[in-house]
Amino acid sequence: MDKGNSTLTLKRTAGTFRPLALTPSEDLKGYILAHLGRAVLFLIACTSVIAIFLIFLFVIRESVGFLQTESLWGYLSKTGWYPQAEPAKFGSVAIIAGSLYVTAASLAFAVPIGILAAAFLSDIVSFRIRAVVKPVIELLAAIPSVAYGFFAVLILAPFLQKKFGFPTGTNALNASIILAVMALPTIISVAEDSISALGRELREASYSLGATRMETMFKVVIPAAHSGIIAAVVLGMMRAIGETMVVWMASGNAAQIPHPWWDISQSVRTMTATIAGEMGETPKDTSHYYALFMMGVLLLVLTFSLNIVSEYFLSRAKKATGRA
Amino acid sequence: MKLAGRMILDKTFTTLTALSVLLLSVILLVVLGPMIYRGSGAVIFRGTVEFRKMQMGLFERGDAEALDAEIAQAQEVRDAVYRQIDEFRQGIDTEELNEKARKIHREFGGELRSNGITGDEYSELRSLTKDIRDKLEEASESQDKALIRRNIEDVLEHQDDDRLKGTLAAGFFPLAANFSKAVENADLAKLSQYTEAIEQVEDILRQLFGPKPGEPTPALARMRYGATRCDQAQILLGKLLWIEKWVQTEPGKPLEKIKTPRSEQFAGTPLESLPGFVEKNLAKMLRPRLTFYWQYFIDDSYNSHYFGGVGPEILGTLLITVLGMLFAIPLGLVSAAYLVECASDNLAVKIIRMCINSLAGVPSIVFGLFGLAFFVLYLLPTFGLPSQGCILAASLTLAILTLPVMIRASEEAIRSVPQTYKEASLALGASRFRTFVTVTLPAALPGILTGIILSLSRIAGETAPILFTGAVALGPVPKSVFQPTRTLSYGSYDMAVGDRVAMMVPHNQYGMVVTLVVLILLLNGMAIMLRGRVFKKLQGR
Amino acid sequence: MRKLIICTMLAAGLAGGALRADTLQLEGSTTVGPIADAFAEYFKSIYPDLQITVKKTGSGDGAAALVDARCDIANMSRFMKEKEFKDAVAKNIFPVAHVVAMDGVCVIVHPSNPVKALTTAQVRDIYMGKIKNWKELGGPDMPIVPISRDTSSGTYETFHELVMAKQEMAANIEYVNANPQAHARVKGTPGAIGYVGLGFVDTSVKALEMDKVKPSRKTIATGTYPVSRPLYMFTAGYPKLGSMTHRFVTFHYTEKGQELIEAKGFVPLTNY
Repeated sequence: MDKGNSTLTLKRTAGTFRPLALTPSEDLKGYILAHLGRAVLFLIACTSVIAIFLIFLFVIRESVGFLQTESLWGYLSKTGWYPQAEPAKFGSVAIIAGSLYVTAASLAFAVPIGILAAAFLSDIVSFRIRAVVKPVIELLAAIPSVAYGFFAVLILAPFLQKKFGFPTGTNALNASIILAVMALPTIISVAEDSISALGRELREASYSLGATRMETMFKVVIPAAHSGIIAAVVLGMMRAIGETMVVWMASGNAAQIPHPWWDISQSVRTMTATIAGEMGETPKDTSHYYALFMMGVLLLVLTFSLNIVSEYFLSRAKKATGRA
Repeated sequence: MKLAGRMILDKTFTTLTALSVLLLSVILLVVLGPMIYRGSGAVIFRGTVEFRKMQMGLFERGDAEALDAEIAQAQEVRDAVYRQIDEFRQGIDTEELNEKARKIHREFGGELRSNGITGDEYSELRSLTKDIRDKLEEASESQDKALIRRNIEDVLEHQDDDRLKGTLAAGFFPLAANFSKAVENADLAKLSQYTEAIEQVEDILRQLFGPKPGEPTPALARMRYGATRCDQAQILLGKLLWIEKWVQTEPGKPLEKIKTPRSEQFAGTPLESLPGFVEKNLAKMLRPRLTFYWQYFIDDSYNSHYFGGVGPEILGTLLITVLGMLFAIPLGLVSAAYLVECASDNLAVKIIRMCINSLAGVPSIVFGLFGLAFFVLYLLPTFGLPSQGCILAASLTLAILTLPVMIRASEEAIRSVPQTYKEASLALGASRFRTFVTVTLPAALPGILTGIILSLSRIAGETAPILFTGAVALGPVPKSVFQPTRTLSYGSYDMAVGDRVAMMVPHNQYGMVVTLVVLILLLNGMAIMLRGRVFKKLQGR
Repeated sequence: MRKLIICTMLAAGLAGGALRADTLQLEGSTTVGPIADAFAEYFKSIYPDLQITVKKTGSGDGAAALVDARCDIANMSRFMKEKEFKDAVAKNIFPVAHVVAMDGVCVIVHPSNPVKALTTAQVRDIYMGKIKNWKELGGPDMPIVPISRDTSSGTYETFHELVMAKQEMAANIEYVNANPQAHARVKGTPGAIGYVGLGFVDTSVKALEMDKVKPSRKTIATGTYPVSRPLYMFTAGYPKLGSMTHRFVTFHYTEKGQELIEAKGFVPLTNY
């Protein structure tokens, strides 16, 4: 209705002469509408802020019950996760260590490959091949985590067991390999962005001094783009640390710190897997329930701070390329 | 010299980078290849007559007459197998033999009386059948083959006795013949073992061909039909042909698996040739035919995915994702529009941006916790609804999860619209709102659409956020958004590790996850193509 | 626009609420789950309008759901704990136990493992990390890979109580989330030892004799097998006679119910 009216007025006014200036009432209406619209838009744009706020609020709210019966220090300093024992023990050190362990191991696979692939895409290959390779990486990123988990349990685990003679195929190695594959697309795309954002000048200067491509890459480009690459690694790390289904299905879920520490063929358990595995079967308002939410808070804080780190490096990378 | 070294290093570096990208492609192939290969077996396979019977019985699909004819043809060959087994079993089942013999003798007396035979003839015939009965009994309990043969011969001598013809007593002779045939070459000490072996064989046959004709229909759907697929039938045939045993070959070492042919178990008996017979005639008994089971994508499943397809899972996934996008699209679009069109670079916008980035970094399982705490345990009871995981809670959780993806994609799309478009529109006197709706938005639409499809594919595959907010492994098709639903993602998880029946039907196990992967890859392929077209359009300008 | 959507949803929800008379919600143990599933499928074939949901989460969750009136029947592989009972009574809900079947927790190893029998104490030592190699038990020289169910499952609780005597397991125990996964892990790992319900024992794994008793239907039904337990369905009060809930929890007495229980690998209580 409203629309029809306005088009009518438009047609009528188009025929007649009309001063360019608006009448005061039109002026006021426009002013109010514009500001009202802006306010509404602003509110809707704040959904993300509200969402983050609610996430923190509710996850923390459900976890405070833990502090009434147990100590946070004990939670963070002890090993031994026996939620069903009497009295229950909630020592999450081994679980936090497990999360960090598979994340570190997956980054050890993913970072070198990711940086090499980023260098390949930005500096070496022609535009046409890039257009073929890019979708491959996107498809790797698109495969849902549960499908990776499926692959890890039913195909990779028996393979590892048979080929390498591990006592168990669902172990830290299995989870790390899959996590590396999942973190790779993030690492590649962010690293490639920052490497290719550097521009030709630096590279051409290096080449003109007689450096080979490799030397240019390692001595000029990568140091200059280090902020972006660090951001890429941090983002990949966030992806790995927050991943649930794969580690739940593939890591073996033994709440232990591998001993000796470099033995990657042992089972570990991560924070995400603990929540996923136990939350569904834990009655509400028990200390076990609170303890799992506490783990959620830890994860939230961990990824939130990692996020701030990555933002810092990304903005630095932006500034650096801006200057160059 | 030094230069050469540097060049070699450089070449190595180039090769390494190329290899790393090659590795990615190989990984993609290794992950997807076997999965898709095995998963396609859920849709394209060699289906047997049992499959068509199942389709008719559970889904009322197919041509009833043709099926009946086919079943009859298959049954004819199967009956030969059942007959062989029955005869042999009767032959060696000495208790049953004795019982039958006694019964015949007992009832024969009554028959004679009712036929009016009395006196000497009566007592003569009675003593004759008593004699036969005793001989049979003696034979059946003996382990001495010579004695058995003599006794059976004695019994069969009376076969031509006119007085016994057409009477109940004639029933003795098939009993005796069956018995003699069964034990002719058999090892008599093994009689009890035979019974057990027959049970095993019958069990395998039941799995191959379904329940024997005449047996009651089992309550579980999966017991009602035999091997529906050729690959299943081959495995069962292997079990029929070979017996597996774990044997200690060296002390202190693990046992080893040893296979012996099943016909050895029946050496010397009429059943010795049975496994071979089944192997030779398997095709006649199962009538396999290449089947394209496209209904896999719409069928409900029976007995935890033993039969049927993934219809409800696809429906549930679509419901949750589409509903989630209904929330996420308007919110994401408006947020993006605000960030591009209205926002100056003030503190509020910085905070919004930071929150969007943080939201993108929140682990999916924490979204699950949040969905449980906020939607399921707080919001639903506040509105007086049952506090249980449901489609609505799951889709709201997913909507928040995908919000950052949506905002970023839309923002990029809106930003990429050339400034000149907007300026032209504004110069014509259109308001900023009108400019946005009629000029910027249509121009940005393909980019936004790409973002929508990518978000859709992202949330369709998410499992962790819906673990506690609305996914179930088995359950009815939901009737409202306040009920939980099955989804492809949770179903894939359950089939991989949580479902016992799934291990018996690997094709369905892989079929579920492949359906999910293919759905998502299709969506992504669409997005990539769409973006390619937008890109070309922009380049052309 | 969004208001409209919400309104439609609310309306749909109310319509859903009106249908509640024909719904049956089951929640709880993953062990009892398959029985409930089989029953549910059979019930659906008889009463096509009936809506049955079976959620397989865990015994504890089942009890909590019954207390919160979120389900009609709580499937439990253990009896209710004192606290759960008190919570229920405090909310004026009086849980009634229906034993539907017997289940034995069988200790399983890979079929290539020559070890045939163990004592409860030996199994406990394995899970406590005191025995680490099959050699110590008369088997081949092979490290033991102990596999446990997750700590929230009813199977774990039974094992924890009857075998472990409530002692803590070692840290290197691998945890799996479901019986089939435990079965699959043992089937594929020569050195593994695990424990599953009797229904999950087949020829691809070997069930060990415990304290010289072989796990079988008979030894479990009579309770001579040391690790056997009843499986429960709990209702809030005894269900109204003739109601769907009543029919469901008494279905195991029927011949069909027994057939289904046996087909799922559990042991029926009665034997007609």
